[in-house]
Amino acid sequence: MTLFHFGNCFALAYFPYFITYKCSGLSEYNAFWRCVQAGATYLFVQLCKMLFLATFFPTWEGGAGVYDFVGEFMKATVDLADLLGLHLVMSRNAGKGEYKIMVAAMGWATAELVMSRCLPLWVGARGIEFDWKYIQMSFDSNISLVHYIAMAAVVWMFTRYDLPKSFRLPVTVLLALCVYKAFLMELFVHVFLLGSWTVLLVKAVLTGAISLCSLFLFVTLVHSN
Amino acid sequence: MFEEASEVFDNMFKSSFPLTFIVFIPAVLILVSPLPAEAAHEFTVYRMQQYDLQGQPYGTRNAILNTEARTVEAEVLSRRCVIMRLAEFSYEEYQKALRQSAGAVVIILPKNMSAMPQDIVQQFMELEPEMLATETIVPVYFAMEDDELLSIYTQTLTSSSSQGSLSAAEVLLHTATANGFQMVTSGAQSKAISDWAITSLEGRLAGVGGEDLPTIVVVAHYDSFGVAPWLSYGADSNGSGVSMLLELARLFSKLYTYKRTHAGYNLLFFVSGGGKFNYQGTKRWLEDNLDHTDSSLLQDNVAFVLCLDTLGSGDNLHLHVSKPPKEGSPQYTLLKELELVAESQYPEVKFSMVHKKINLADDMLAWEHERFGIRRLPAFTLSHLPSHRLAQRVSIMDSRSVSPSSRHGAGEPPAGRNSKLVAEALARVIYNLTEKGAPGDLQIFTEQMVQDEQLSAVVDWLTAQPRAAQLVDKDSSVVSTLEYHLGHYLKDVKRHYVKADKRDPEFVFYDQLKQTMNAYRVKPAIFDLLLAVCIAAYLGVMYLAIQNFGVLYGVVRRITQPKTKTH
Repeated sequence: MTLFHFGNCFALAYFPYFITYKCSGLSEYNAFWRCVQAGATYLFVQLCKMLFLATFFPTWEGGAGVYDFVGEFMKATVDLADLLGLHLVMSRNAGKGEYKIMVAAMGWATAELVMSRCLPLWVGARGIEFDWKYIQMSFDSNISLVHYIAMAAVVWMFTRYDLPKSFRLPVTVLLALCVYKAFLMELFVHVFLLGSWTVLLVKAVLTGAISLCSLFLFVTLVHSN
Repeated sequence: MFEEASEVFDNMFKSSFPLTFIVFIPAVLILVSPLPAEAAHEFTVYRMQQYDLQGQPYGTRNAILNTEARTVEAEVLSRRCVIMRLAEFSYEEYQKALRQSAGAVVIILPKNMSAMPQDIVQQFMELEPEMLATETIVPVYFAMEDDELLSIYTQTLTSSSSQGSLSAAEVLLHTATANGFQMVTSGAQSKAISDWAITSLEGRLAGVGGEDLPTIVVVAHYDSFGVAPWLSYGADSNGSGVSMLLELARLFSKLYTYKRTHAGYNLLFFVSGGGKFNYQGTKRWLEDNLDHTDSSLLQDNVAFVLCLDTLGSGDNLHLHVSKPPKEGSPQYTLLKELELVAESQYPEVKFSMVHKKINLADDMLAWEHERFGIRRLPAFTLSHLPSHRLAQRVSIMDSRSVSPSSRHGAGEPPAGRNSKLVAEALARVIYNLTEKGAPGDLQIFTEQMVQDEQLSAVVDWLTAQPRAAQLVDKDSSVVSTLEYHLGHYLKDVKRHYVKADKRDPEFVFYDQLKQTMNAYRVKPAIFDLLLAVCIAAYLGVMYLAIQNFGVLYGVVRRITQPKTKTH
């Protein structure tokens, strides 16, 4: 569908990032370089995860249609490294809580956009063949942005020393949900055999719920002092 | 943000010069790289014939295709690829597509041809020569149907037939949901194959009793013809003829090994190529043997030449002659023996002689015996078809599953019965049995000698691959297997090659007969604009949402605040 379609998909994917960067006031804090550093940390963490997965996890030798629940669960557990990475980025940045969260999330999400979505869009959306999956990929990147902001917020909250005891449980639950969200989505797809647009909808709803809960907790934490 | 970005990139690039290369060159390379595209569906297509015979071009002239698909019901057909199914094929629609200067025509053939009703098969068979006779500039392709192709066809059908009958809003909705297909072939333009050699094979069985023995020649052409070369399997025409020739070679070689049954006739067997292209193989063989060689079996005493052409089905047998045989001549003897055997041993067979003078003004000769007749050799062709113009001789529908011989009910399959008949008649001529007083119903060859399974197996093997003259070159497996088999039974098996003359070629073949076609799912250009408008609207909403994020923040704060106030 040629370059125009590629342009459409790229705009759909990238503009919210751009708008978020502009409107969250990060530009006033000279945060561009820090975002790039967060992106580099993302690359490093992904590399480590891949090496770990390749070394310690055997390939699945079962049938084609059977879903290896336990195996995928273990693989999803490796995504805890994402949390560690985010924590690392945030601890290196000095500043207010919101600043740290936004910088980490923006850098992380942009790196993921560039690495995992730009190339498929470039190669695929430019071809003659039309497929809805490129538009879906761009929507997915929007959802990822929100997801990473929520995830960074929850990680930040988790590491606060003045977190009230009653918040420990909800924060931990949210953390677990963030990490296993991909696994849960695959589970849904396998069990309910959802179509691709329905998957997107479910993902959006799930991410929306997680982010709303984390927003509530964040606001309560920040303004209870 | 752009100032910061540019600062960062400046620092990055000034510090290390090679870094620029590492970053920029791959980026540039990726930008200009050609695009490997994934297709919705990739399938093999077979092109219609393209050849020149005696300077006259036939068939389609073009091979490249890169157009959008439509079916015949669409209003605008020009520069589009028209897809038709065999079940709904009609010559008027085909001509209509060509008149409206369509870009190409693709005809979808069902995978299971034997499931098609006979009248459709018959109708298509008769249309094939007409399709070839008109020189078409647009490429015409045939494809075998599978599920994806069928779904592509039905989708194209719904979108083609609903054009022009909807309101503007419906058209807009339609563009959003409909799938167009772009058909693209991957090959190059077709060009003439130079130096193509048509192969023919000959072998002989020498008679006993000195020199100057009379020779009987048995001829059958092995190539097949159809509207698409890759789909022409020629089960009846001329798979049956070749299998009968091999069977006769086997029987007589068996007889000739024993001194008691070694007869005083030389038997010369010739499997000719290029038969469907005006018998090129036979023509050149005759020239070589009669004009360029000092001594050859054909120059001396030829009793008669028996050509076998399409003998695999039906209950008729026609002996086509260009000159009725004179009484007392060997040809007359064969004619009488055939009549006798048919009458006494196979009463269901209706045997007759058909007399047709050679018409040199025609583009193509009628039967193979006419080539021999032109060179004054007595010849006839045996066939179950009454006329050489019948479309069954040159059709792609003549395959093992569809040909009527496979639908033969009870009783003996015609191919086996015809082989026995011919073998008996030949034996009576060679051993002079009628003169010696043998009755008409004396069976020389018993059940075990003529084997139906062998005949059937040979035809099965022959129809396993397309045998169009353009596809069988001198290294092909058909030729080498035939050579091997003839070598079992006959002596002096030789190959004979025919190449077209350089300056005035009798035949010219073209390549690119089999292609891979890709069907890409495409959306019309309006769709892109529509999508852009929708995305712009979505981004506008996003922008407003993010700008006013503070509102949500305030709301959440207000909701959580009463809890803290009470503490």
